[in-house]
Amino acid sequence: MANDAELKKIEQENQRLAQLCSMKSEMVSLNAHQIKTSLSAQKWIIKMFLDGDLGALTPEQENLMQKAYESNDRAIELVSDMLADNKKEELAEKKFEFSPVDLSELIDSVKFDFSGEAYSHGVEMIFLHPEEDIPPVDADKEKMRMVLQNLLDNAIKYSGNHGKVFITLSKKDDQVQVSVKDTGVGISPEGQKHIFEKFYRDPEAEKKEITGSGIGLFTAKNVVERHGGKIWFESRPEAGTTFFFTIPIRQKGGVA
Amino acid sequence: MAKMVLIIEDDNFLLGLEAKKLKKEGYDISTAVNSEEAFRLIDSRVKIDLILLALMLPDVDGFTILEKVRKNGSKEIADVPVIIFSNLSEEKDIERAKSLGISEFMVKSNFTLDELAAKVKELIGA
Repeated sequence: MANDAELKKIEQENQRLAQLCSMKSEMVSLNAHQIKTSLSAQKWIIKMFLDGDLGALTPEQENLMQKAYESNDRAIELVSDMLADNKKEELAEKKFEFSPVDLSELIDSVKFDFSGEAYSHGVEMIFLHPEEDIPPVDADKEKMRMVLQNLLDNAIKYSGNHGKVFITLSKKDDQVQVSVKDTGVGISPEGQKHIFEKFYRDPEAEKKEITGSGIGLFTAKNVVERHGGKIWFESRPEAGTTFFFTIPIRQKGGVA
Repeated sequence: MAKMVLIIEDDNFLLGLEAKKLKKEGYDISTAVNSEEAFRLIDSRVKIDLILLALMLPDVDGFTILEKVRKNGSKEIADVPVIIFSNLSEEKDIERAKSLGISEFMVKSNFTLDELAAKVKELIGA
C-alpha cells in the first residue's frame, strides 16, 4: 500500500500530466488551424487557375492543376480529421454527465450539421422519424452527439456519389436503438474483425483514399458501452453497411 | 451605389484574395487586420452593408467584435449581416457565433471564393 506521501506525489504527477496533455492538445489545435489557413489560400488560388481567372491553361497545365486541387482537398480533410480526433480524445477523457436526451432531436441536429458534407459527397441523408414517441434516454448529450457524428461521417464518406444514408430510431423494450445505414461498398471481411480497434483502417478504405484516423468507431464503442449499450454492424460486400447501437432508457441508479 | 463589404481578417494574403474577388464582383471593400482598425471603421459611420469576419485575430477575437457590432448604438450597424469566415469549426464556436447573431458560418477551407461571393450576393444582392 502506498502511504500518504506517495499518494500525494502520484496525484501531483497526474495533475502535471493532465496539464501537459491539455497543452499539447491546444497546440495541435492551433497548428492545425494555421495549416488550414495556408491550405485554404492554396485552394482558392488553384481554383482561380482552373476557372481561367488568370488566363487560359494548356490541357497539361489544367490536368496538373486539377490534381493539385484534389491533393489539396485531401490535405484539408486530413487536417480536419486531425482536429476532430483531437477534440474526440479531449472529450472522451472528460467525465460523463448524464441527463435526459431526446435522441430524435439530437439526430436532427447532427444531420443538419452534416448537410454540407453530404452535399459535397453527393449523398442524400434520410432520417426515417419513428412513428411512436421515443422517450428521452439518460445519456451524456455531447458524447452521444460524437457517436452520431462518427457514424454519419463514416456513412457519408463510404456511401460514394449518389449514395444514400438512412437513419432510424426505435424503442426496443427498455432500450432505444439507432441505426445508420449506408449504400457503400461494405466492410472487407478482414476489416470486420478489427473495425472497432483503435487506429485500425480498412485496407479497402485506404485504397480508395478515404481519409480517416481509425479513432471514430473505437471512441463510439467506448461511449456506447459506458452508457450500458451495445454497438454492432451488418455489412455485405457492395450492399453497404448498417451500424446499430442501443442505449438504455434509464441508467442503473441514473437520474432520468 | 456599390454595396460596401467590410473584411476583418488578420492574414494579409487571404485578405488580399478575398478583397480582390469581391471587388471584381462589384463590391466596395474596406479592410481591417485587427480590432483597432475594425472598431474605427465600425464607429466611423461609414455605410457598411455586410461584414466578413475572421475569428482568430491578433488582439481580440472575432466574437468580441461581433458582440460589439450587435450592441452598437447605430441600428444600421447592429443589424448588418455578418458572415463568419474562419477555419475554426468546432460546435462550440458555431453555437457561440449563432447566439450572437450571424447570417452564415463558413469554414474557409470548405469553400471557394466563388462560393463566398455567391453567399454575399445572396445576402445583400449585387
